[in-house]
Amino acid sequence: MRSQTNISVFASMLIFVMTAFMPESVSSQAVKVSVPAGSFHSVLPEVKGEPILVDSFYMDEIAVTNEQYLEFVKANPEWRRSEIPPIFTNAGYLREWRSDLDPGYENLGEDRPVTRVSWYAANEYCSAQGGRLPTLNEWEYSAQLMNFNSEAEMNKFSAGLINWYSGIDVNNLQEVGSTQIETIHGVKDQFGLVMEWVEDFKPIIADELSLDCGTVGRMNTLGSVYSYAASIRYITRMSFNPKITTGMVGFRCAYDEPAPSSQTQNGESL
Amino acid sequence: MKTIIAFTLSFLGILSLEAFAQHSHNGHEKEALNAGTVHADHSLYHLDSEFTDHRNEVVKLGDLQGEPVIVVLFYGNCTQVCPILIQDTWRLYSSLDESIQQKVNVLAVSFDTENDSPDVLKKYAEYEELDIPGWHFLTGKHTDIKMLATMLGVKYQQTSDGHFAHSNLVTVLDTEGKVAQRVEGLNQPLEKAARIIEEMLKNL
Repeated sequence: MRSQTNISVFASMLIFVMTAFMPESVSSQAVKVSVPAGSFHSVLPEVKGEPILVDSFYMDEIAVTNEQYLEFVKANPEWRRSEIPPIFTNAGYLREWRSDLDPGYENLGEDRPVTRVSWYAANEYCSAQGGRLPTLNEWEYSAQLMNFNSEAEMNKFSAGLINWYSGIDVNNLQEVGSTQIETIHGVKDQFGLVMEWVEDFKPIIADELSLDCGTVGRMNTLGSVYSYAASIRYITRMSFNPKITTGMVGFRCAYDEPAPSSQTQNGESL
Repeated sequence: MKTIIAFTLSFLGILSLEAFAQHSHNGHEKEALNAGTVHADHSLYHLDSEFTDHRNEVVKLGDLQGEPVIVVLFYGNCTQVCPILIQDTWRLYSSLDESIQQKVNVLAVSFDTENDSPDVLKKYAEYEELDIPGWHFLTGKHTDIKMLATMLGVKYQQTSDGHFAHSNLVTVLDTEGKVAQRVEGLNQPLEKAARIIEEMLKNL
């Protein structure tokens, strides 16, 4: 019970802090969070005990929304549903949108993450924002920068994830920013909303892996609260190809530099 | 709990198929990677990105429309495998009649966007004695190169020592930018690729 109280106190503090630092209105302007350099232990096979080093980078606070994606296709006609060349996507691209320039917000919601976009489209979107897709290591490194107040809280988080990964409801996606799951640096919803594209979604080492029960078991015994989720994400990504458009995959962008016009958190606004 | 197991197993199923589909690797990180599959019926010229060549000139793939193109991906600091790959490309190019060579473009695209600036590529081209008309040693935005590589089915990944594991692939694009022929591996026979280029120009 106490951990729940802690969460709600923490959440209201966060909301307060967020409100103080959020740019006024302009919901389509992505907030870029500064993620400092660091290291983490991946679930991937690696040199034993060697943590993976990650340079500092910037990442969108939230996943790209239908509304933001609409702005992109408005400005880039060749990425509209009726125009996109088949080399960049399979047939399901933005399938649930009402038309090229109408997502049909009553069904999809403007603040829900855009899904049914291919890896190529996600790349192009991020490129148009002056960014790129995060690398697998950047994304996973950021995801595990969370802070838990107690072991009970950690277990609750872990159990919730197992539930979520075993049944992502693509027809009832929540709004971005709504999961209350946030890293210590302020990146939201890396768990619990949608799966997300990363630049190297099928890492080359994947070819060398036979993923049997033993390997999954080994991934799960890393003793980290994130292991289960990370191994499931990893396994899921391996079944992707760059043209797939599924309802459970959205994306967010990463950046090497904060763009001059952008707002960043952690007191780094320009 | 059942659903979790079912879920995990279904992904394992997908995965083991993938694993079977891949030839086994011995785990050595510098071993060549198998190229991925590609769809030959779509033009690569939809990729509207700007690349820069070793003469500091902007090259867009669509600009090459109407002429056959030979594409190879490599990186400059690769001193063992890539020179062979580049020489393979030269071998294909030089096997063509001079009149045909003049109508063929060669794109040698570096995926080492950090080190292979146009100046570095210029030196590379000169060192390989390939600073010749029609040949473009290209660099570009990291994202664009990754997109191009993915469209060609070329896999690459930087290793912790700064080198790259990568596929060895020479691709011939037809006059519309569709994949016409792929030659995977080093020191492969290139006669078929040469015939395909000659045929293309005959039909123009």
